[in-house]
Amino acid sequence: MTRADIKLLFFLVLATVLAVPASSMAGGNTTGDAVIFGPSGTTTVSLDSPATYVIEGRIGQVVFEVRDGALECTSSTCKDKVCVHMGWVSPGHPVVCAPNGVSAMLVTGPNGAGEGELDAVSR
Amino acid sequence: MPFRADARESRILAVTALLLGLAATLGYLEAVLIPPLPVPGLKLGLANTAVVVALATVGPSRALAVSLGRVLLVGLATGSIAGPTIAMSVSGAVGAWIAMALLANASSDFSVVGWSIGGSAANAVSQLAAATIVTGSAAPLMLLPLSLGLSLPTGIAVGMLGGLLISRVPRLTLSTASG
Repeated sequence: MTRADIKLLFFLVLATVLAVPASSMAGGNTTGDAVIFGPSGTTTVSLDSPATYVIEGRIGQVVFEVRDGALECTSSTCKDKVCVHMGWVSPGHPVVCAPNGVSAMLVTGPNGAGEGELDAVSR
Repeated sequence: MPFRADARESRILAVTALLLGLAATLGYLEAVLIPPLPVPGLKLGLANTAVVVALATVGPSRALAVSLGRVLLVGLATGSIAGPTIAMSVSGAVGAWIAMALLANASSDFSVVGWSIGGSAANAVSQLAAATIVTGSAAPLMLLPLSLGLSLPTGIAVGMLGGLLISRVPRLTLSTASG
């Protein structure tokens, strides 16, 4: 590796590190709901009670389950099952099934949403 | 001399076809043998070794032909060519090629490892951008840090493999450089 290669690598590592907080905290706190995007529309999912959601994708069905207050993709008709292996939907970690055109992420609100109190008041 | 020009073109064509075959074979083996990573579009990128070598030996336009030809052939072999993920593959291939060609042209200070690192990062970003369009939501962009972070070691590995291939097969370079 040349000096220029190392500079490029350092720049990309820095970009990666800077992107982590931007990704995990985008939109603020979670509200206790999740949203599933699909070709036929958007489904808002409450994480309060167990449920199963079958989403019609481009090449078949994608199944999501709510268990223990979290959302997981449990099966899909896609070939590689990347979405199933992605695990639970968590802050900054959506589940994406690209072949079916389906994705799921937690619903977030502004900082403080869900806590019922203000962080600060500016005048 | 027309004969010399024809012979040179034939050699370049033969090397390009050889690299396309290598890229398609590596891409197919990776798709079949290595389990997919839990991030859409993220792969080890072994096939990119042939694209890096093509960039160094037969030039950027033929490197693009190798890259897109590989996407087409692997897509046909694995059956993914008819699905929406082909848009992600094409987007990643073009993004990686643009980054590598820019780095190769920008300065001779970058080695094939630098080209590969840039290409791997551009591939990750391009694939997630395409996934955003395919899924119609911004959710895939949240995977950017993970995808970008994992693309760097794979870029280094592929670049080193490409550099090794170029150094161990000198006739590959000589055949086109000497004309």
